[in-house]
Amino acid sequence: MQSTPIVTIAAAEKFLKTLEEFLNHSEAFFALIIDRGGTILSQSGRPPDGTDITILAALAAGSFAATRELATRVGESEFNALYQQGSHFHILMNAVDDDTMLVTIFSTQTTVGLVRFYSARTSEQIAIQMQELRADCVDAPLVFTEADLNTASQIFRDTTDKAV
Amino acid sequence: MAIINYANKEVQFKIVFYGPALCGKTTNLAYIHSQITETNKGELVSLATAADRTLFFDFLPLNAIVIRNFKTKFQLYTVPGQVIYNATRQLVLRSVDAVVFVADSQWDKMEENIESFRNLDENLARQGLSLDTIPYVIQLNKRDMPNVAPIHYLDFILNDRAVCVPSFEASATTGQGVFDTLNTVSRMLLVKFARDAEAAAYVKSQPTPAASPMDGVAAGLRQPQAAR
Repeated sequence: MQSTPIVTIAAAEKFLKTLEEFLNHSEAFFALIIDRGGTILSQSGRPPDGTDITILAALAAGSFAATRELATRVGESEFNALYQQGSHFHILMNAVDDDTMLVTIFSTQTTVGLVRFYSARTSEQIAIQMQELRADCVDAPLVFTEADLNTASQIFRDTTDKAV
Repeated sequence: MAIINYANKEVQFKIVFYGPALCGKTTNLAYIHSQITETNKGELVSLATAADRTLFFDFLPLNAIVIRNFKTKFQLYTVPGQVIYNATRQLVLRSVDAVVFVADSQWDKMEENIESFRNLDENLARQGLSLDTIPYVIQLNKRDMPNVAPIHYLDFILNDRAVCVPSFEASATTGQGVFDTLNTVSRMLLVKFARDAEAAAYVKSQPTPAASPMDGVAAGLRQPQAAR
């Protein structure tokens, strides 16, 4: 399994440009690049009102992982796309590579065929960008050191002050 | 593994609460959710059956401290404890950074505790991870119940490894020990993250050894002799 990368500023800009182009072409209104563990790497567009993107990413990753298990049960290595149809909003999930996936939300303003066509192409572009990122991220600077943690206060606080 | 996002100045970590069925994993997350301030928590999502048994996972995103201008974010997951859901547990463990093993302190749950701990070890190994390298703590939950095993006995059966990890007495329904557990595993995770990054930076800073003129000779000597 490949390691999950560090998202550099340059990579984030590339992801964003790719997603913006994808949304323009497909007429979908929101797209997310997430890792298979459910963590957001990049996003573009506007999600449906009140949507918590972090939760959306976690559920999408879980859903896709479960589908992968289903695929193996019928002799496939993976179903590379998963489509969820609603009455107003629809979700399409595409495998990008072993560690990454693309999640798209769209409405009745566009068609699943159009979104599916452009999402496949976009997934290929993102896969290349992820490969480049994995090669580049070895030069990323340190975020913080162990010494920085010594001065950090309590990480989480129980508001009833039961914690010592 | 942890994801560093330089564009958003965030580092994201994933902690999984693991343990046998009905040991209190979801109760831990519910208590944490009830006590963290609104600005630092997301919604607690539970994918449960009608009988409130975890079917897939519970999920709670938390914002934590800012270190050197980087926000630290923790995603807390639980796994379904029932034995039949092992495939689901493997999915939830994907990209895990740290584990809280929640043990049920009641005497009649010892076998389930041991089996679940063994299952955790096996499922981590399937991902190329190990309890010897991943940060984890043990929470001895349900200390408020009658008929609980003594702490030293639980430590003996669950924490008798080459390196003993921190263990905490807890009662997740009242909150006793819940934040001690969470703060300790989070700090262990941050320390490991910092140490790994510092070690990688040190290796990078070392000059690459120059090629020796003897390398070619040595390589030639290592070639297998042609069959005569």
